[in-house]
Amino acid sequence: MRLNIERGELLRALGHVTSVVERRTTIPILSNVLLRAKDGELSFKATDLERDVVESVKADVSSPGAVTVPAHILHDIVRKLRDGAEVEIKLNGEKERLTLTAGQAQFELQTLAPDDFPDVSAGELTHSFDITAADLKRLIEKTRFAISTEETRYYLNGIYLHTNKRDGVEMLRAVATDGHRLAQVELPLPNGASGMPGVIVPRKTVHELHRLIESSGDSVRVGVSQSKIRFEIGTVTLTSKLIDGTFPDYERVIPQGNDKVLTVSNAQFMSAVDRVSTIASERGRAVKLKIGSDKLVLSVNNPDGGSATEEIDVDYTNKPLEIGFNARYLLDIAGQLEGEEASFMLADPASPTMVRDVGDETALYVLMPMRV
Amino acid sequence: MVIRQLSAETVNRIAAGEVIERPASVVKELVENAIDAGATAIEVVTSGGGLSLIRVTDNGEGMAAADLALAVERHATSKLDDENLFDIRTLGFRGEALPSIGSVAHLEIASRQAGSRDGFRIVVDRGRKSAVAPSAGNTGTRVEVRDLFSATPARLKFLKSERAENMAVSEVVRRIAMANPAIAFTVTTGERAGLKLPAAADTADGLLSRLGRIMGREFLDDALAISGEREGIRLQGFAGLPTLHRPDQTQQYLFVNGRVVKDRLLVGAVRAAYGDLIPKGRFPLLALFVSLDPRDVDVNVHPAKSEVRFRDTAAVRSLIIGGVRASLEAAGHRASAQGGMATMDVLARAAAATATAVADDARAVVAGDAHAMHRAGGDRAGSRSASGMRLQLDSGFAEAMQAPFSAVDRSGLAAPTDAAGSGEDVWDRPLGVARAQLHETYIVAQTRDSVVIVDQHAAHERLVYERMKTMLAAGHVERQGLLIPLVVDLSEAEADALGERVAEFAELGLAIEPFGAGAVVVREVPALLGKGDVAGLVKDLAAEIVSEGAGFALKERLEAVASRMACHGSVRAGRRLTGEEMNALLREMEATPYSGQCNHGRPTYVELKLSDIERLFGRR
Repeated sequence: MRLNIERGELLRALGHVTSVVERRTTIPILSNVLLRAKDGELSFKATDLERDVVESVKADVSSPGAVTVPAHILHDIVRKLRDGAEVEIKLNGEKERLTLTAGQAQFELQTLAPDDFPDVSAGELTHSFDITAADLKRLIEKTRFAISTEETRYYLNGIYLHTNKRDGVEMLRAVATDGHRLAQVELPLPNGASGMPGVIVPRKTVHELHRLIESSGDSVRVGVSQSKIRFEIGTVTLTSKLIDGTFPDYERVIPQGNDKVLTVSNAQFMSAVDRVSTIASERGRAVKLKIGSDKLVLSVNNPDGGSATEEIDVDYTNKPLEIGFNARYLLDIAGQLEGEEASFMLADPASPTMVRDVGDETALYVLMPMRV
Repeated sequence: MVIRQLSAETVNRIAAGEVIERPASVVKELVENAIDAGATAIEVVTSGGGLSLIRVTDNGEGMAAADLALAVERHATSKLDDENLFDIRTLGFRGEALPSIGSVAHLEIASRQAGSRDGFRIVVDRGRKSAVAPSAGNTGTRVEVRDLFSATPARLKFLKSERAENMAVSEVVRRIAMANPAIAFTVTTGERAGLKLPAAADTADGLLSRLGRIMGREFLDDALAISGEREGIRLQGFAGLPTLHRPDQTQQYLFVNGRVVKDRLLVGAVRAAYGDLIPKGRFPLLALFVSLDPRDVDVNVHPAKSEVRFRDTAAVRSLIIGGVRASLEAAGHRASAQGGMATMDVLARAAAATATAVADDARAVVAGDAHAMHRAGGDRAGSRSASGMRLQLDSGFAEAMQAPFSAVDRSGLAAPTDAAGSGEDVWDRPLGVARAQLHETYIVAQTRDSVVIVDQHAAHERLVYERMKTMLAAGHVERQGLLIPLVVDLSEAEADALGERVAEFAELGLAIEPFGAGAVVVREVPALLGKGDVAGLVKDLAAEIVSEGAGFALKERLEAVASRMACHGSVRAGRRLTGEEMNALLREMEATPYSGQCNHGRPTYVELKLSDIERLFGRR
């Protein structure tokens, strides 16, 4: 195997695939990236056994071949090379080392046999559809903050992606919850997605996907089966196993009859929450919302640190109500709201509260109050 | 198959199997008899591990000839009449011991009643009783048991070595002696005079000095008096400081109405009382005496009476926890004297090792003193905790101690802090006046008669932690409701046990409801725990409740979070403190309960007595 490639191309591809590689692994080959040179292309593949990322770039291949080398080391080397440098990569058959030459610098890397490199992306995908990068990004960004990190309820450790009907229109819906709050976002079902199975996309895949959409592409091709999901974003392909579990019947916890509606200015509310929660230095402190007619008083009381209150003008005509929320959770949700105004649909201090942008039916958040 | 009525002899031997398990059980029965007879001095002599001879002599009230004959009959006792099995005020009551012993050994009892001129004796040889015969003797009773188990050779095979049996005998007497400080005990096993306990006053001081003789000298130095009373149950005794601990529970004694009992109630209660003051896997030393109306406790549960049942277990338990806690709290910052002693020991040894220039005789003094202190540390079983401490100090503290002293001339020294509010009274404070900070980690303070070295991080961590705990206890715990309630599968017994304590948990912020058979559903969790593993927590709680009858896991978990936050929020080693800061720290330590040890149970300071330091330099 022998080829020449421009440093920038190499760096970009490595940047895409390397982050899936775990820093510490018990199986040595999982620290490696698989390089395969063929037909004027160099392909990269990295995996952590749950998911893999593949990318191909143009290269001047003089002799085809395949090899695996430590991914993070290779990435670091290329990162430190001079911008625009021409890199020569050569597999020394006898010593089984990969030689990398750029200008006066030369590196020799330990290799492992490419045949041992695990393959998780094999298998048929039953459904596939196209979705714009912006839509996909919205589905992820608005829900991922609510993904659970707690391992006992593993089926909450991801985003539940499934189809749903609203007013007779089929929708693609993403839901995440950690048992304390829930986020739900939907958009019209793309062509070809009809009948797809509901799947739970693992947290790490979600983060990888978000990173990849960030850097490239305007349309993403998604393939789904019962056990796998694949995203093709430009030249990069991310294939991931799914969480094998049943997502709970979340619709039951979305309150339907909350009739006390509080409407706030988004920006005002968010900055007020942000200000008063400064006092709640540790986790688990509550922000108390005292809601009166057209008036909302936010307060935090931390016996160790002091207290804070702020009053803002709101629209509220129902009976006065006092309710507490975890400051962190309230900030998380406030950060997702993007319209001018947001509405809170409340029932009582012990029941779930629903939050959404005024005039936007596609995203909603449910938050369980704190008892203080 | 033919069914036969067993002979009385066989019946007695079967009964003996329950009561008389090994020589030590004979000793226990006889010594308890002696105590019930009002003796003030009891002598126990054994040879051959108690198999060839056990002789218990007392100066109690003695028996008349007729009583003597009856005493060796089964179910004959002076301690119980048919009316009051539930009102037992003596150690014995079953009327089984003497006939049981008589059925498996050669038993001879000689007794003379006080005020009577004539003594009598009776012999029972493996179940065959002789007639009562006159015999000379002192007032009191002497019981001799020879050839124990010769009638039941099978039992002989299950006995341990002579040495082990001897130890068991003295252990039995020791335990009984703890509860009876006013009685003098002498135990001679084999050739050696084993245990000699002179009679002490029947007061708290007397009790403590008796306990000190049995549990080791360091317990004497570090014991806190415990007393409490609730609903007619009285608690007395002594508990060791949390910095005094050992790797097993062998030095935790519970006496109920003067009787040693083994009860897991004690284990749980002690754990709850010491809580976060003791490192994991270490156990404090204590001896607690519970006295209550005999009708409120059932001692007739176990033939050897080593187990009891309380009518109101929870009351006894909370009395023990409350009593011990109160004393520990009152002890405030006090740390074990062993820390200072061990330090002196290390210093003395280091001095002896390095000071080659020192004249031989001077060195002999130092080394000799080190040994003396070592011995003072106790040669009893309980001294292991001191050596544990010594080990710790060997590895870390010795260098820390040595280095600063050699670096004093250079820069490790912060400004002396005389000015900082060191009025006359400050000198009399237990932790004295801060003098310097060494290595930006240790505060050196001076009191009237000692030098105190404080680990600033450990001390401050404890202070912050205690403050957090107070807050935790004062403010109600904030609860986060669960959007999706969590169902936790448990065994049925566990689920029921949890179900009974729902209210208790709700107070700590955990809302649980029973959920069918063998499951509970969690609806709210303490906000402090964040998004931790709730299912795991509930399972731990359930397991603990089932095994110990009480749940601490939740409180411990919350306190662990507080402790972690305390660790991050406290003054680190390596920060330079001003004199005012140091003095403020010392004053706060004096005012804060449990400040003698850090959250992990290590001492926060050691005190070196001036007299010890003087000895180090051969000035005394």
